Amino acid sequence: MSNKLTLAIAGIAAVLIIILAVVLIVVVGGSGGKSTASAPQGGTPAAAAKPTVGPAASGELRLRGTDPLVLDPALAQDAGSAVYIAEIFSGLVRLDKDLKIQPDLAQSWDVSPDHLTYTFHLNPKATFQDGRPVTTADVKYSWERALNPNTGSVTAENFLGDIVGARDVARGNATEISGLKIIDDLTLSVTIDAPKPYFLYKLMYPTAFIVSQAQIKANPKRWTQQPIGTGPYKLAKWSLGNQLVLTAYDNYYLGAPTLKTITYDLSGGSALVAYQQGDIDVTGVALDDLGTVQDPTNPLHKEFVQAPSQSIDYIGFNTNTPPFDDPKVRQALAMTVDRKKIDQVVLKNSVAVANGILPPGVPGYTPADKTYPYDPQKAKQLLAQSKYANKMPSITLAESGAGASVDNATQAIVQNWKDALGIDVKIQQAEDATFFSDLDAGRYQMFEIGWIMDYPDPEDVLDILFYSTSKQNSTLYNNPQVDAKLLAARTEQDPQKRLAIYQDVEKQIVQDAPWIPLFFGQTNALVKPYVKNYTFPPLIIERFRDVQVNR
Amino acid sequence: MDGLAGYILRRLLFLPVTLLVVSFATFYITRWGPGDPVRVYSGQYNDPEAFARVRHKYGLDKPIIEQYGIYVKDLLLHGDFGESFKYRDRSIPGIIGPKIWVSVRLGLYAFILTFLIGIPAGIFAAVKQGSWLDPLIIGVFLFFQSIPVLVMVPVMVIIFAARLQWLPAGGFHGLFSTTMIIPTIALSLGGIAGVARLARATTLGTLGEDFVRTARAKGLPELTVISRHIARNSVVPVMTTVIGLSLVGLLEGALFTETLLGIPGIGAFVFDSVKGRDYNVILAIVLIVTTAFVLANLVVDLALIVIDPRVRSQRPGA
Amino acid sequence: MSATATTATPGPSTAPPHGESLTRRSLRRLLRKRLAVICIVAIGVFFFVGIFANFVAPESYSHQNLDLSFNGPSLHHPFGTDILGRDVFSRNVYAARTTVIVTAATVLSGFVLLPVTLGMLAGYRRGFADALIMRAGEILASLPGLPMLVLINVTLRPRWDRWMQHIANGIHWDGFINEGFADYFLIFGVLSLFGWVGGARIIRSQVLTLRNSEFITAARASGAGTPRILYQHILPNIMPLIIVSASAALGGIATAEIGLTFLGVGVQPPHPSFGSLISDGASRIVLQHHPEVLLVPAVIVAALIFSFNLLGDALNDVFTSRAA
Repeated sequence: MSNKLTLAIAGIAAVLIIILAVVLIVVVGGSGGKSTASAPQGGTPAAAAKPTVGPAASGELRLRGTDPLVLDPALAQDAGSAVYIAEIFSGLVRLDKDLKIQPDLAQSWDVSPDHLTYTFHLNPKATFQDGRPVTTADVKYSWERALNPNTGSVTAENFLGDIVGARDVARGNATEISGLKIIDDLTLSVTIDAPKPYFLYKLMYPTAFIVSQAQIKANPKRWTQQPIGTGPYKLAKWSLGNQLVLTAYDNYYLGAPTLKTITYDLSGGSALVAYQQGDIDVTGVALDDLGTVQDPTNPLHKEFVQAPSQSIDYIGFNTNTPPFDDPKVRQALAMTVDRKKIDQVVLKNSVAVANGILPPGVPGYTPADKTYPYDPQKAKQLLAQSKYANKMPSITLAESGAGASVDNATQAIVQNWKDALGIDVKIQQAEDATFFSDLDAGRYQMFEIGWIMDYPDPEDVLDILFYSTSKQNSTLYNNPQVDAKLLAARTEQDPQKRLAIYQDVEKQIVQDAPWIPLFFGQTNALVKPYVKNYTFPPLIIERFRDVQVNR
Repeated sequence: MDGLAGYILRRLLFLPVTLLVVSFATFYITRWGPGDPVRVYSGQYNDPEAFARVRHKYGLDKPIIEQYGIYVKDLLLHGDFGESFKYRDRSIPGIIGPKIWVSVRLGLYAFILTFLIGIPAGIFAAVKQGSWLDPLIIGVFLFFQSIPVLVMVPVMVIIFAARLQWLPAGGFHGLFSTTMIIPTIALSLGGIAGVARLARATTLGTLGEDFVRTARAKGLPELTVISRHIARNSVVPVMTTVIGLSLVGLLEGALFTETLLGIPGIGAFVFDSVKGRDYNVILAIVLIVTTAFVLANLVVDLALIVIDPRVRSQRPGA
Repeated sequence: MSATATTATPGPSTAPPHGESLTRRSLRRLLRKRLAVICIVAIGVFFFVGIFANFVAPESYSHQNLDLSFNGPSLHHPFGTDILGRDVFSRNVYAARTTVIVTAATVLSGFVLLPVTLGMLAGYRRGFADALIMRAGEILASLPGLPMLVLINVTLRPRWDRWMQHIANGIHWDGFINEGFADYFLIFGVLSLFGWVGGARIIRSQVLTLRNSEFITAARASGAGTPRILYQHILPNIMPLIIVSASAALGGIATAEIGLTFLGVGVQPPHPSFGSLISDGASRIVLQHHPEVLLVPAVIVAALIFSFNLLGDALNDVFTSRAA
């Protein structure tokens, strides 16, 4: 190569770098407000150009979705699959949008005076999506199948195990649930092992949904590719990574759905851009886009919806490991997390600061703040009084997830501790497989994780996570007083008294600080104005039947 | 050519050995690691007894060697790749087939674009040797080659999708949709420089050949000389050499491109499967890709053997 | 990926007996190329900044200040601050350190030491060693590199971290882990594992040609032992090949580390790498309102890899084309 040539290449490279920089700054960095303000115009005219065709009722709702992992209700345990299963299948009872128990496949039920036996009366109009009526034999088959170890369900024992004899089926010692009696085609009695007020809630989980015995017998391995359920929507099409279509089942026993078609685009890409271009009608808003949407001058702001979801993020301490076997250390750390500021600056108010353990909407929730207020002074005093005042061992905070960067909120929390208490906490990131295996083995001193409520009852978080011998007690928290109260609440039949016990327990746990409750989850979404009756229930339930799309 | 046939045969016979070693290593590494699919996909539930039952159902409680034996037996006798622990509604070919197909189509586009730009650019640069156009062309593509896909893709998304709204911001809606544009450009930019330089080198060699001189002497127009004689003699060797090599690069570029743009291809999927410890899916992908690599490498080696003496001897001195 | 990257075509098929002077002569010719010198200077500056990151960077890479979240460029923060109020300039300086360490270590181990040892062993000893090394190389080369790297990194890391903790306790040096060296070891280890094949093949074929050449036969006749022949006669002759193939791999190695970190299986936070800086900057909010957070690492990485590639080319030029 000649000298001229080399010089030329170097010159070109320099010019290109500068061009790249300038293009980035001008096109990308240029006035953000103006350009985003014009953004939705790409979508609105397209939508306006298509006036309502046909009857307003028979709309098509277009959403962004992800591939369900499995459509077999007995196996599903992730929210991504549950959203589809909740529409295709149904159970004996349901939750309405206010989280009240309502009849579903069972149109009524009687409870025996000792609160141990439930007699369900099935809805005679209920049919599978192939027209076959739903009978009590189907209920028995579905539950026994879910529990059978050959099905491979991880959750069945948890959700059906309260029925007498169910655990024997789950452990392979029986094939039939002894506490389940078929009285006639439409009447079924179920006996449970203790008078548990939350039993009906557990029947709303997909594991307890009804599946078609005929179909599974005919195609045991791949029946879920075209499942025949009992819910308001049929799976019309599912091409992996591309599209999933649900169509209304018009003979649905609770009345034909108003919304006829739900189309999920599974192919990925930025949902906000697709929404702005009018390709989808509803979208969740990612943290990155929240700033744009929250800006009141942005036209998108009018379509922005925030709704609580029943989940909580927290930091858990291993209460058996130094230095967290001393409650004072835990309390000091709890007092020095500036959650409000982190929510504002780092999380853009996408979540709500937790005021306790029970998320809003769960019975027993109170608006009063039960957590430790941010108070570095008091925290320092507490730390000075603790066992580890002079010899603080090294501390590592484990976080699930594998990204190139640690969650920004976690980094901010660690900085809080450093600033306020001078404690250097290391962050260890582990992808899910490693995280759970180390968490279960009790290898973490301290971990950040979340809990999503499965049913709206305080038992689902307070008892499951804090009862000393619970399998899910990752903090190894052990307080005999709390245990006694939890035990009493399990079978307390007076709802008011029961909730009072749980509120008491919640206060005690927050004081003892095996957790630092951080944030309650929230749904952040955009809904087009022509979509009516679209709701964001805090738990995953069937919810599309009466949605109207007047595009 | 007898020696060549023997060489091909030997390479092909070695393929099963490669697959056996690779499959065992992958099998062992995945199952050796902390965590397992049963635990990962149960998320916030922790019920060790239930986990043990499910593990038993899938034979995950057996020694790894025994599990491997069962796997090989099922694969060879029944063509059964096992079941995915994540997507349990479909067979493994049913899960990865469509994803491979997406990536293949994407790769095909990138290939075509690479050659469509690279070869003419290389020939043009060679013909213009000595002028400022030669280093400009090669320099520009070399520069683009130096920008990682990781940087290229987000920048393009912001400019063309979010700001200008010309293109969709990701996803995949078939071969003839605009969703193909950003990933195709991102995937091909890295390869264009290589193709262009190879085409330039080959062309420079061809330029001195007798038939080109003859054609010129005959007074044929320059464009005809280039398209008829030079191009034909440059394109073929460049194509064969680069195709195999690019296959490797494409799969790796695809991992980032697909992850960033949310394209449901095999590149993004393999990463998800590793994170979720979806043993059988990881293994199936590794086996398929390894086979493809071995065959592609064989083709490249053969191409090099056939072309090499010519290409090498004609390589320009400077 | 570096591991399977195309290495430069094997150069001299018949090496002149005085290789030492060839290497030196070629390097002198390299310094006459202005572009190559520019690249060397650019890479030199980058390495200097990386090695002396502690002195160059005005702040620590992890020092946060939430009150300064996304402050634009200023006198204190020439490239502004990120969402947590950390100095973008300092973070890039420390990211350069990561790249320097990983690139240098990987080139030395995976593209010089391993291929030279294995290539010479295979080419000179022939027989079983040759077959074993070449077959193993063939299998490694036919693996999909990046997915395998991810797989190994994911499954090995927890154990690796525990072993490294033992070592750190043993040598009483906390910085071993706190400064991220455990990560660096893992990354350059796996990159080397997949990287040596191409170089070893080229070196082996060269050694095969050399071992029957007259001057080796002469040396052997005069009673020189194998190590002496390898070290004194063969090594100088394959030096150009080593330099060419190792320099060609530099860009690939740097890209590989950045890619692995971007995917979350490389250098672990809080230690910055260009992979995590790009990942931070590539999120929509940052890119839309604070492009400098992506722009800085993007330009540095593009310029660095451009320099690596051009230098590799130049070296290939001066070594493979002899005074024609």
